[in-house]
Amino acid sequence: MLLVARKNLFSERTRLAIAVGGIALSVFLISLLLSLFRGWDETVGKFVEDSNVDVWVGAVGTKDFMRAASLVPLEGTEAFDEAVPIKEWAPLIVRPMVGVKVKFPRDPDDPGRELDIHLVGYDTQKGLGGPIKVVEGKEAPGPNEVIIDEALASRYDVDLDDLISAGGTEWTVVGISEGGNFVASQTVFVSLEQAQEALQMEGQATFIVFDLFDTIDHENFAADVSTIDPGAVGFTRDQFAANTREVILGDVLPILTIVLALAFVVGLAVSGLTMYTATIEKSREYGIIKAVGFKNAYLYRLVFEQGMVTGALGFAIGIGLTLLFGPLVGDRVPQFVTLVRWQDVLAVFGATVLMSLFASFVPVRRLAAIDPVTVFKA
Amino acid sequence: MPDDIPDVLTMERVTKIYGEGDAAVKALDDVDFEANIGEVTVIMGPSGSGKTTFLTIAGALLTPTSGNVIVSNLNITKMSESELPDVRREKIGFIFQSFNLLESLTATENVRLVMTEARRGSYHPELELLKMLGLGHRLNSLPKNLSGGEKQRVAIARALINNPDLILADEPTANLDAKRGRELMLLLRQIAMEMQKAVVIVTHDHRIREIAHRIVWLEDGTFRTDVATARDPVCSRVIEVEGAPMIDSEGQTYHFCGHDCRRIFEGDPARFRQS
Repeated sequence: MLLVARKNLFSERTRLAIAVGGIALSVFLISLLLSLFRGWDETVGKFVEDSNVDVWVGAVGTKDFMRAASLVPLEGTEAFDEAVPIKEWAPLIVRPMVGVKVKFPRDPDDPGRELDIHLVGYDTQKGLGGPIKVVEGKEAPGPNEVIIDEALASRYDVDLDDLISAGGTEWTVVGISEGGNFVASQTVFVSLEQAQEALQMEGQATFIVFDLFDTIDHENFAADVSTIDPGAVGFTRDQFAANTREVILGDVLPILTIVLALAFVVGLAVSGLTMYTATIEKSREYGIIKAVGFKNAYLYRLVFEQGMVTGALGFAIGIGLTLLFGPLVGDRVPQFVTLVRWQDVLAVFGATVLMSLFASFVPVRRLAAIDPVTVFKA
Repeated sequence: MPDDIPDVLTMERVTKIYGEGDAAVKALDDVDFEANIGEVTVIMGPSGSGKTTFLTIAGALLTPTSGNVIVSNLNITKMSESELPDVRREKIGFIFQSFNLLESLTATENVRLVMTEARRGSYHPELELLKMLGLGHRLNSLPKNLSGGEKQRVAIARALINNPDLILADEPTANLDAKRGRELMLLLRQIAMEMQKAVVIVTHDHRIREIAHRIVWLEDGTFRTDVATARDPVCSRVIEVEGAPMIDSEGQTYHFCGHDCRRIFEGDPARFRQS
């Protein structure tokens, strides 16, 4: 690095702090938003991806797990028992709803707290569509019992033995599972019979879920569903996970893109303006450098190196803050799910280099216009 | 000058015109000039006479409208803009009125900055030079911690570091007190004579005449040889006697740059006679 570039940068610490701070803030915003998006993207599709269901079948119009308004009659479904490609099948009830948590032991003055939940009624014998992994308590819910996702437990401070009321029924929390977090809501598992009874869905389900033999092509099986029953539609696990992600994050993406662009512009503006004002303030010194025999290219390199070092420092601080801030907040706010991927870190680094490059170009015309003759003025 | 003393700076019929048409101003008018090794040449003249234009053209910072400028056998008027910085760095040393050191660099770094690659090596000529100029104890000091005289000596070290034949100084004593100014003048003379440099000084300071081998008077863009000069006792400027306001006081004639200085003198002649 050029001596003058290094000295210029580090001799004026306030200016350096402003420029680095601007870039760091921008990098922090960009990387945090990206990691938040990645975290959500990973989380909201995870339940479907990690479940033991190969193909999801619902009524026509159903696309995803979140807006599960499908109603599938269970009449004649026993024929699936004989179907060759099917290893296992089961009805599954999914219903987004508002529950109420009541702490145990019950306090008559405590009205409870409302919870955003996805009530899942599953066949506890077959386990299809049930909890991904139970981390505490009973493996399967019995009558008037419920297994809740750990994110729900953390978000609303729900413990084993607490009560959850939903659809006019009260369930006791007997287990805590993982992998059922959809950020805005979390899964709550009850037995299929309990769900049918509570939601008055006897003889019906939201989905029929299938576990197929390994030799069976899942896509063909899902596609064949509509052929056999025009009122039904089938999705492979990956399609269903992608649809679920799309419904949650599809609307977020354009907003996120705009915020990312704004964060980039903020970083660029702060670093560009700082470099420009520094160039104006240092005009006389740059004039001296020209007068004693340095070319414009030297000055460009000087400013470029200052820009790059400022960018590198801002990047390191910004990424460091993201790595620190994400998990720290995530511990307190369960919806704040972040995932920092090295590909994104690389992309943010690229954006920072671009930012520094643009910022270095801002004062170029000014540098070229500096007349070394001005140094003869007292 | 004798033929055996080589010219370091030669200016042949140099003219510089600023602006065009009715707004054109001729700053230098058909000027011829030579500066030789081992010689201090002082260029004096009133404000606006073209001194700075002369210096910037001699220093390859400004291109003349016409004429030739030859520095160390290189005709710089024939060179492209991109070639001139190398000439400035290798062939010319500059000493400025305001020292013009880079504030974030130490004394040593200010000198080292302009060193050409050829000068960089295992030994450190910049340290030697600074020590030779009496700045051995100030090597790592920033300009803000140096006195005016020390700053100017750093600037001299910077001007000499690439061993150029030509040193151009613009009002080098303007920001120094009388004692430091005199020390600097002697140093410049020493540099010219012992280090075999051609030193060209543009100044208003009459004291520099003491060390000059040659004094030339620049006025209205041309050199005049028939000029009688005197020092204004009030503002210390060297002025052309002809046409200047004057006073006879206690048997001596005093000339002034203007009527204001004469009035000030008349208010307390004894004070200015002493100076």
